[in-house]
Amino acid sequence: MPAVLRKFIGLLLIFATVGVASCQALLAPWSPGALAIFSLLPH
Amino acid sequence: MGRFLLLAGAVLIPLTALILLIKRRVRTMAERYRQTPGRFPSSKGLLMFLLPLPVLFAAIGSLARGNIGGLFDNAVCYGLFLGGALLLRRGLRTEAEYDRRRVARAPWPFKTLGGGVIALATGLTAWSGANHHPAIAVVFALAALLGCYLTYGFDPRGAKRFTDSEGLDTTDRVLEALAQAERSIAAIERATRDIGNAELNGRLRRIAAQARQILTMLEEDPRDLRRARKFLNVYLDGAKQVTEGYAKTHGRVAAPELEDNFRRVLATIEEVFAEQQQKLLETDVTDLDVQIEVLSTQLKREGVV
Repeated sequence: MPAVLRKFIGLLLIFATVGVASCQALLAPWSPGALAIFSLLPH
Repeated sequence: MGRFLLLAGAVLIPLTALILLIKRRVRTMAERYRQTPGRFPSSKGLLMFLLPLPVLFAAIGSLARGNIGGLFDNAVCYGLFLGGALLLRRGLRTEAEYDRRRVARAPWPFKTLGGGVIALATGLTAWSGANHHPAIAVVFALAALLGCYLTYGFDPRGAKRFTDSEGLDTTDRVLEALAQAERSIAAIERATRDIGNAELNGRLRRIAAQARQILTMLEEDPRDLRRARKFLNVYLDGAKQVTEGYAKTHGRVAAPELEDNFRRVLATIEEVFAEQQQKLLETDVTDLDVQIEVLSTQLKREGVV
């Protein structure tokens, strides 16, 4: 696997896990409000 | 949940690509100004300090709401993230040092440890902070570990050994000599703090910098160690003893003669260190000359030139 692709996938995984888990931990106390944002998205 | 993943993907993929592009551009620009090859880039690993910041804000939010349980959970998770990021950064620095040297011991697996601690912190945050099912939290942790591995790699394994011209393995001897020299330089720098004379301090700082440059040359090519033995055993050790002695004495006794003598000794040491550096550079040039000569003779003999 080329080094750039390996790093790209690695960074993507870090953002998707560390970043998402951290943001969810921040938004958890206001979860009904946070979920309302996603309900605005088109079905 | 599906929509959230879609949204997260739509944001994360271009963001990651943008970060990689900016890093590549900055590295290309920095190549022109790079002084020493293999120097540790100061921004590497900083992402792991920035990404968990929302957990710190969550801890502050819990405190503001008077939620002690939430405060404890988020504080522990953030502490783990911070510890993991520090370990990872230390591992990256150790790896850069390992890559730079031609002879080195296998470093401690700080990067692997850091990745493991970050994965644990991610799993705990997903479970306790984001209220995910434990199985999902484990998936978060494993994906974070894989992400750390793919981005930063694992630690180098195995020592870079060095054998001298007679075929003897002198790795430990070389490393011990370099460590001893580093201790002497650190002792000179410590003693400098006790000397309240700007001119002498300036000279001592120059001497320490020169000694570090010589040490870097020896680290990069330990074959020079035999030639620099006198520098390591006599001059560097002598400089350390004289500086420490002066730092201890001059505070108790005001003797202008002593100061003049010390100034003269420092000037001599500076000259000797500069000579030593020049000698090592000249040896490199001579070695290269010999290699070019041998290659051109071989090419002529084989009828290529």
